[in-house]
Amino acid sequence: MEIRTITAPFTDEVLSSLQVGDIVNVSGTIFCGRDAVLPRLVKLMEEGKWEEQGIDLKGGVIFHTAVSRAGVGPTSSNKAELEGTMPQLTEAGIRMFLGKGELKDETIAMFDRYNAVYAVIAPVTALLNSKVLSQKCIAHPELGMEAFYELQVEKFPCIIAAAHGKRLS
Amino acid sequence: MEFNYNDVVAKVADCLVRAGSTFRQDKKDAYKCAIQCEELERAKWNLETILENAEVAERDRSPLCDDTGIPHVFVEVGPNRCLTGSMMKAIQEGVREGLKELPGRPMAIKGNDAERIDMSGGISPNSEDLALAPFLIKEVEEDVIRVHILMLGGGPAIRGITHRIFHKHNLQVVLDEIVARAKEGTRLLGCTPCALAVGVGRSQFEATALMMEAMVYSDFSKQNEMEKYITDKVNESGVGPLGLKGKTTVLATFMKVGPQRASGVRVVALRPGCCFEPRMACVEL
Repeated sequence: MEIRTITAPFTDEVLSSLQVGDIVNVSGTIFCGRDAVLPRLVKLMEEGKWEEQGIDLKGGVIFHTAVSRAGVGPTSSNKAELEGTMPQLTEAGIRMFLGKGELKDETIAMFDRYNAVYAVIAPVTALLNSKVLSQKCIAHPELGMEAFYELQVEKFPCIIAAAHGKRLS
Repeated sequence: MEFNYNDVVAKVADCLVRAGSTFRQDKKDAYKCAIQCEELERAKWNLETILENAEVAERDRSPLCDDTGIPHVFVEVGPNRCLTGSMMKAIQEGVREGLKELPGRPMAIKGNDAERIDMSGGISPNSEDLALAPFLIKEVEEDVIRVHILMLGGGPAIRGITHRIFHKHNLQVVLDEIVARAKEGTRLLGCTPCALAVGVGRSQFEATALMMEAMVYSDFSKQNEMEKYITDKVNESGVGPLGLKGKTTVLATFMKVGPQRASGVRVVALRPGCCFEPRMACVEL
């Protein structure tokens, strides 16, 4: 099977070309965060303090994962702290969420308004670890493995599970 | 009986690393069979990716999943063998050493009771600070002390449920309720295909202990009639690998039925294990 590789951050053109069911490899720069840190980022946005962080989310990817000695792997994206923060993070520029689990219809409709997508990534930590080129903590280091990280990755395999208002069915 | 403390520590540490990084042959065979059965290309690809991950993890002795799980120990003790407190200490130390080596995800929460509940005490940076769950001990006919280590992940813990079922003097009522709960759990799990673990007992404790025993003695190549019924019915949901549709929502069901109470209630513990579970290994001491 030939698998297309797309590089983050994404242009609108790349995002428009993605269809539900596509198997793609994601390379480039991705952000990582989960339950503890993403609500804090959203709170900064709501308080008008996000710009002070100096982090550009435009066209970016957030992978719902911790980053620890054990590696990376998706946590359930349908947890309240994660799915509940998607609207604000999308408004701030994120265009792909990498995770697992089924999302609500309203979340998928929201993605469509921003040309954003949701991709499911298998919890294949041993494989993913071999594809991480570098990692650094960029916000809330006090949260340890649940801080906000930036990773350079090569060919993370995933499946587009929601795009253009549609979901896999 | 005398025992060598350091030998036990080393054996248990190695066992934990194997538990967190390997698929047993019966599980590999179950995956290969499921890949053959799937018709959807993406379902096949998902299963192949999970199997490839298992091969890399086994080769590198590295974690199958970044949620390396909470260590649980199940000990079989033969008729002429003695499990002492000192030996249990050595097993605990072995678990610590194994967590360092794997490495386990550093997810021990610090602080007092209240701080550990809301995580305000912070997270320990050390993998080995993750405390072992209470021991389960079972007497067996074989003259051994055999330690089984199971690494239980968080996703299945979120979707698992231990709750009563009123049986109405009809086995089908109980099986269908288990199927209904399993369908809901696997739909939300995300990390399918699932290995369902079920314990049926007289109390919450007993049902959960039986569920653990079902995992310890699990074999993907052996399914009794009730287990096969549950597996087949849940697979009718079509949730499929990673929740992205397909035939393989459940690879197998492992069910242990204990003694029952003369009443209308059965307590059922159900754990929809993720695609890596039962994540376990064993060693004789």
